[in-house]
Amino acid sequence: MKKSHLLISMMLVLVSTLMGCATSGELEKVQAQQKLIDAKAEQALQDAQAAKAAADAAKLKADEVTTRAENAEKAALERERIADEKAKRADAAFQKSMLK
Amino acid sequence: MKSAQEKSWFSPSHPEGEVERNEFSVARGDDVIGRLASIRLEKGDTLPDIARHFSLGVNAISAANPGVDVWVPEAGERIILPLSFILPDTPRKGIVVNLATMRLFQFKEDGRSLLVSTYPVGVGTKERPTPTGQMRVVRKATRPTWHVPASISDDHRKKGNILPATVPPGPQNPLGEYALYLSKSGYLIHGTNKPASIGLNATNGCMRLYPENVKMLFNDTPVNTPVTIVNQPYLVGQRNGVLYLEAHTPQEGSGASELEKINEKLRTIEKKAARTLDWRKIKEVQTEARGIPVPIFEIRQGSENDAAKKPIEVEHPDTLYGRPEIPELKLDAWYVLAADVRDEIDALRIAAVINHQGPHIPARVFSKSNSYRVIAGPFNDINEAKEAAKRLKMDLDIDGIVIEPVKEG
Repeated sequence: MKKSHLLISMMLVLVSTLMGCATSGELEKVQAQQKLIDAKAEQALQDAQAAKAAADAAKLKADEVTTRAENAEKAALERERIADEKAKRADAAFQKSMLK
Repeated sequence: MKSAQEKSWFSPSHPEGEVERNEFSVARGDDVIGRLASIRLEKGDTLPDIARHFSLGVNAISAANPGVDVWVPEAGERIILPLSFILPDTPRKGIVVNLATMRLFQFKEDGRSLLVSTYPVGVGTKERPTPTGQMRVVRKATRPTWHVPASISDDHRKKGNILPATVPPGPQNPLGEYALYLSKSGYLIHGTNKPASIGLNATNGCMRLYPENVKMLFNDTPVNTPVTIVNQPYLVGQRNGVLYLEAHTPQEGSGASELEKINEKLRTIEKKAARTLDWRKIKEVQTEARGIPVPIFEIRQGSENDAAKKPIEVEHPDTLYGRPEIPELKLDAWYVLAADVRDEIDALRIAAVINHQGPHIPARVFSKSNSYRVIAGPFNDINEAKEAAKRLKMDLDIDGIVIEPVKEG
């Protein structure tokens, strides 16, 4: 019984020693990987932010162009309306002037 | 590409003299006369000038060319001359006037064939409409005196213009040079001193014609000629086995009943032919109301003549008959400044409207650095200039400024 206890204790010590060695080696590797990934993430974030900013800017520009186009269209329609109105007013005045 | 398309639709160019405007023979069983034509506009043309040259009313040329500016159309634009007509649904005898189309038809038998002369007319306003019904010519007069009706005298008095009891023959006389007095008292067919009003609801119930047309009608119409006045905005008729529909904007208040009448007539034709009419096309023609006969049905299948449907392309004449002439400028003359506007089109339109007054008031546009001035004149003296300014105010609500002659030296 004592022998088996001793064996188990020795195995545990060995395992724990082996584990301790693996943890300190891997930790550095993991930390290095984490750094790399973090850097990548940072880069990705920055890229995403830049892309979003570019998209936002493009949207802003598109919106502005759309607004300007709409305004131009409105102005053209207004000009057309005014021209039509003027023509109609002239026709109405002319018709009136043709009475005896 | 456009010209290729146009070439396929418009027939080769014809001298304008070849285009029949007034005199047509009517083939037995036919109801449609004349042929559509087209013309390319030139700089300075107005639709009333083109209309008069081709014996059309301003209503007809405007309806056939929707969207074209009446007074300042674009040079180079091609317009339709609606010189094809469906005869009104009446007995073909004497004079027939269709108020809705603003057109007069005069039927004459020539041996075995039927001839028809047709002229555009100006008719009564909504307030003073031309009466419909049967009447006859009771009297004819050249250079008639106008006995001013009390109603017209009142209208003028309200505008601050006192009319005499009678107006002798001359440029101030609205009856023009010829008059046919009708059996319905107070109603006449006469000429005009306002030719641009032909094709408008502008009379007090009389029917007025272009001076050149009333002369022809007068010489061709004996006393006692029957006169039938109808109001038919929708006309249906056939030629060479093809059924045509012609739609005009109805005179005030008559649209719905007239539409029902023509649709009933078309349903009867449909039933008789035992074939379905294209009702979508019919509705389209009725809605557009362009005053042009449109083929809607082949009564005899395969009879549609494609060539007859094509408008004839007409060459632009060197001068347009009756176009108002603008005298040369004179430094020692009086003028009236009628408008000072920033837009050239506005200025040209005002000048054109003034130029088409009756009696004629000449007007032209002066281009300034940042505006356009409409100047009426030249006038011989201050009285003429003041009279023109008064007419501009009374008829067109224009506040003109009288300009005195340039003092030389």
